Amino acid sequence: MAVQYDPALIGRVFEETEPVPVTAEQIKAFCRAIDETNPLFTDEAAASAGANGGLVAPPSFAVTFRNGRDFFKHVPRFGTRGFDAGKDVEFVAPIRPGDKIRLASHVKEIYEKTGRSGSMVFVVIRSTLSNQNDEVVAHIDHRFMSRT
Amino acid sequence: MANHQAKDFGDLEIGDELGPEHILVSKDLTRLFVRVAHMDSPRFTDDEAARAEGLPGAILPGNMSLSLLTKLVTDWIGSSGARLARIGTTYRSPVISGSSVTMQGFVTHTDAAERTAEVDIWIENEDAERLVIGTATVHFPLKK
Repeated sequence: MAVQYDPALIGRVFEETEPVPVTAEQIKAFCRAIDETNPLFTDEAAASAGANGGLVAPPSFAVTFRNGRDFFKHVPRFGTRGFDAGKDVEFVAPIRPGDKIRLASHVKEIYEKTGRSGSMVFVVIRSTLSNQNDEVVAHIDHRFMSRT
Repeated sequence: MANHQAKDFGDLEIGDELGPEHILVSKDLTRLFVRVAHMDSPRFTDDEAARAEGLPGAILPGNMSLSLLTKLVTDWIGSSGARLARIGTTYRSPVISGSSVTMQGFVTHTDAAERTAEVDIWIENEDAERLVIGTATVHFPLKK
């Protein structure tokens, strides 16, 4: 049976977070946590001579911005408790020290798959990250899987 | 750093390798990631709490695995001027905090019109089990 849900769920932004400031110290700590040594992300002087014209965060720094406290209340549930099945991230623009990043999230799609272990429902939540100039810096698609 | 680095777009070949890169994802490193990424679940830092959830012990956050694979790609890009446009990951099995893992990948497709390369990437454990798999798209701008 096809998964049943209210189609009005799709595309409606259910959450927007307050802007979160980015500091050089946070970027340095993130680099240490993933053993990052690329001078484009760790060395102000070297980064200034690079394509980005200054220090930027490693692309995956985008995943450190948290959704709001009620985020999971808005994730539609089907069957068992959903777990994090994966992510897709589109990197649009670099994140720099001094940026202020906010997230807006909506349900992008809901679909069903049947595998050897049975039927699964996937809920994809898209969080769009924007900076203080209203420029999109990244789209993050969170893929949650539940067994029905 | 990676053993291999991206070439100019015109010199790319299907099968060109990314990595391998080896890392001991120590419990200290995991704790640091959890702190900077604001992921405060005890399943990432507390073996007992993780076992209570049916896990074999404390595990890496999925975002940390994604970040390590992103680093594999940006290391491959190096100073070539290319840009990581997209990454996608699928978490197949938990990555255990305190274990040694290897990240690697290879070029699967190139698009001359878009000047992009598609790569398959993965994290494997010491038994060569692929715990996290993914794909990424790298864009090579025209050189000025």
